[in-house]
Amino acid sequence: MALPISLRDSITPPELELIASEELVEIVPLISMERTAFISGAYGPLRPPNKARIPLWMAINLKMKKKCHIVPPDWLSVADFLQERLTQETTQPEFSQFPFRFTEIAKLLLDTAPDDIPNSDKIRSLLKDIREARQAKSRDGLQKIDHSELSLPNLCSMEINEIRPFFVRAMGVLTQLTRDPVADSRQFGV
Amino acid sequence: MDDDYYSIDSILSENQKIQCTFKVDIPDMGHLDGGHERDIKAQSRVQLPLWLAFILIYSDYADFTIPPPFNSRVRNALNAEAKSVKLSALVGAGGFWYGFGKMIMRLLDDEPANEMSGLLTKSFRNRLVEVIDQAQHFAALGPAGGGGQSGDAALAFREGLEVTERELFLLAQESAKRTKQWYESTDRLRR
Repeated sequence: MALPISLRDSITPPELELIASEELVEIVPLISMERTAFISGAYGPLRPPNKARIPLWMAINLKMKKKCHIVPPDWLSVADFLQERLTQETTQPEFSQFPFRFTEIAKLLLDTAPDDIPNSDKIRSLLKDIREARQAKSRDGLQKIDHSELSLPNLCSMEINEIRPFFVRAMGVLTQLTRDPVADSRQFGV
Repeated sequence: MDDDYYSIDSILSENQKIQCTFKVDIPDMGHLDGGHERDIKAQSRVQLPLWLAFILIYSDYADFTIPPPFNSRVRNALNAEAKSVKLSALVGAGGFWYGFGKMIMRLLDDEPANEMSGLLTKSFRNRLVEVIDQAQHFAALGPAGGGGQSGDAALAFREGLEVTERELFLLAQESAKRTKQWYESTDRLRR
């Protein structure tokens, strides 16, 4: 295969970002538009000042043209929520619950619409802290790795993608090193 | 490492020699040993590559001794501190210590084979966290960073990495680098 090794068993972060941009967000449009059909579905109509739910990619596109305000999702709008999650993350042994694609959505929104998010700088640093706390936990998970299973609930898509290549490989190696008398005897016919 | 017939890794894992003692006379094959004898005599000791040893051992023509990379000295060292053993030094550069171990494991009976499997699994797991930690550390340094800052112990550990571990190191480094790049990139300039 000509595909680079790193691309064979996982996808790239920009691809994950693309997938995440299909998620719906609320916006306050500044222009009006009829209901319009796109490949992924029909969205609209946009009637200012009523809120509308449209995919993230479309919201970002409109935002770039200054034709809407994005209403950040609940978990991104209140700094208290993230603060609480960070405390939870640093005190509890488990991963705390987050939307599956929260890193991608948070990054896209913070990059393109920081003016719509109150306390965006605070949120950014909180997210960074949360990320580091979670990374430390997935490192602990590595110590418990086993040839047959590994359970790390509430891991989100970006984190899974980051650890996938070597977790999968390491578990494959462990499977090889674990002795399976049935398979061995079958292979050599003894 | 795996059992696939076409696996290059598996073929390379067999490219290690083990000490065999012949149990029977093999006539007219003395030249294989590089000696001047015409026959291979019973009780003579020969270093045989694993791929050849398999069939001889299974057909009961020869016995083998546990090769040096897995002798009791190495075992004790691994049990004491797996991270300070240089696996690459045991099997030579580009050697497959785990793959070799797996091949030996197949030749053993139940009890020593389980013991061997335990040794391999335990060593792998004890070293894995350090491998990944260092890989992520190197990914964080960026293209300009190299060794230098890290300690001698870390350097020695990296030198002692065996092929399978090196692959894991690369995978982890690559993936951490890509993710880091994404976190640090910004879309604002692009649009």
